This record gives sequence, structure tokens and C-alpha cells, in this order.
Amino acid sequence: MLDFLKRVFNAEDKSSKGQANNRLRLVLTHDRLGTSGLVMDAMKEEIIQVIAKHMEIEGVPEVKIITEGRHAAMDISIPLKGR
Amino acid sequence: MGKKTAEGQVIVVTSGKGGVGKTTTVANVASSLARLGHKVVVMDLDIGLKKLDLILGLENRVIYDIIQVIEGECTLKQALVKDKRFPDLYMLPAAQTRNKDDITPDQVKQLCAQLKKEFDYIFIDCPAGIEQGFRNAIAAADRAIVVTNPEVSAVRDADRIIGMLESANFKDIKLVVNRIRNDMVKSGDMLSIDDLLEHLCIDLLGVVPEDQNVVVSTNRGEPIILNEHAQASTAFNNIAHRTLGEQVDFPTFDDITLWTRIKSLGRNMFSGR
Repeated sequence: MLDFLKRVFNAEDKSSKGQANNRLRLVLTHDRLGTSGLVMDAMKEEIIQVIAKHMEIEGVPEVKIITEGRHAAMDISIPLKGR
Repeated sequence: MGKKTAEGQVIVVTSGKGGVGKTTTVANVASSLARLGHKVVVMDLDIGLKKLDLILGLENRVIYDIIQVIEGECTLKQALVKDKRFPDLYMLPAAQTRNKDDITPDQVKQLCAQLKKEFDYIFIDCPAGIEQGFRNAIAAADRAIVVTNPEVSAVRDADRIIGMLESANFKDIKLVVNRIRNDMVKSGDMLSIDDLLEHLCIDLLGVVPEDQNVVVSTNRGEPIILNEHAQASTAFNNIAHRTLGEQVDFPTFDDITLWTRIKSLGRNMFSGR
């Protein structure tokens, strides 16, 4: 019950354990893929540029890694402007 | 008591990071299995930085080491140190004045092939790191136990080791979480078992609570499993049973914590605080 209340009132886990988990999620994903936060940011920019060259982007594009177990996939979501 | 199985199993205990409790795990799980009547040998492959003899309290009984066996200066049998407390436990010591490159994965395989005929379980104490020493230690292993602490740096290294074991086609990789503090997990200041399993994605073999008794036992050169009252002792015995394939529930150690709290509450009340 306490855990439930904590989750409701404190959606973003600010405990040191929560921070450790967030940092680990990121660093383990990068370690496993042999990449880094900087490389990911650069790649994200490049992907968006390629799309923008051919179509008009509307809104905020998202490029992120999603993981399931020890496997990972890239999730690209780019909202496009219709005519 | 004699050998129980036809073909011995080689189990490597590894972690990536140093100081998480590999040697303590090897010493206690091996002693526990030997006490249950299995023939067990522990092989120290931390050449140049040996600790297993000291943790087991066998440092004064070492005559030959693994490198002397490989170089033909003595036989394998001559180098094995018998543990007087557990008649079915033997140790093959590391060499202290040599290094990891003085032994090859093939030589480890040959030694293990010989030991498999005599023993039910061969535990390999792997050095920290991911270099030659690690490659030697995993070369002959059928199963792997990855030891980690609930701490970001140990988890990161454990993840790297698990990745390397998977690349080396290990099918049986299990996790031991050492030095967990339930009070800190509850207050949100330590990674929980669930957190560690979410990050590392392997099966859990054991959970060892932080226990001051381990320091005392290590000082004396006695395995912690000889201290029946220690929480870590129960944890290592449970790991031994699970290694045999038995189903043992994971105690939460909550009851003990709660009881300790009630006791300390009582003490505080009566002492007028």
C-alpha cells in the first residue's frame, strides 16, 4: 500500500535507488550496443535530417532505444505534416 | 564418502569487478556441498593474486601450485590440498609469483578433464577482469555463477561478463547477489533483487545479505557456513542446495529485520529513549 501511494504521489522516483536504476538502464543499453549517449544524439540528428530532406516534419520527432530482456530495438517516431 | 556422479561438473564463479565476493562464494558453496557428501575441488585461477587459500584457511598447507602441475614439477594429486574440516573438499592452489599468461585455456581444459573423473564438482575461482585470466577460467566450465553487489559499478561489470559468457555459448548462467541490505532497499537507497534481475535478465541462484560475521570468519580462515547463526551461512547453504537442482525458497530476511526492530524498539523504550 505504501509502495502504491509512493508511486501515485511520486511518479518520478527521486530516491537514490531510482536514480541508480535510470542510470543503469541507459548505460547497460549503450554498453550492449557498443554506443554512447553522444553517438545516439548525433545519429538522431542525422536520421531526422534525412527525413526532413524529403518530407516535412511536424511536431517533435522521437528516436529512442527500446529494450526487452537483453535485446534492443530502435524506435523511431517522426510526425509528418500532411497537405 | 566417494564420488556420487559419473562425470563431474565444472562451475566457474565470475563477476568482472573485483571485491564483490567471488572467492567467498566459491569457498562457502564448495564447503557446503562437500559437507553434504559431494566430492568437491576448488581451483584458484587468480594466478599472481591468490586469495582462496587464505579465505579457506589453508594457506599453511600449500606445497605445490597449479603452474607446477602444468610444468610437470609435481603431479595433480600432489598439488591438491585436502581440507581437514570437510573430508570431501580439496583445493588446487594458484601460483603467487607467476601471472595469467603462464597458463592457457587448453591447459585448464586438460586439468579439468582429469579432475572430472575424481570429483562431482569443480569450482573455478575466476580473477577479476575480462582478459586472459577470464578466458582461462571459463574455458572448461559447464556452468557459470555471476556474483554481483547491489551497486551500479558491479552491475555494469556483471552485465559485460554475462554478455561475454553468452558469446562463449554458456547456457547455464546464474546470478548471486552478495552484500544486500534489506533496510537500505526498503528506504530506497539500494538496488533491490527485482531491480538487478530486470537489468541483468538471468536466473537468480542466491541472495546473500550483508553480514559482519563474514569478516570475522575471514579473519579466522573459517568458512562462514560453520557459523550456523549467521544469515550469510543460511544463504550460502541455500545456494549449495540450488546448485544441486533442489528447489529452495528465497527467504526475504524480513522476519529477522522485523524482529530486530521490535527488539531494538523494546530496548529503546525501556532505556527511556
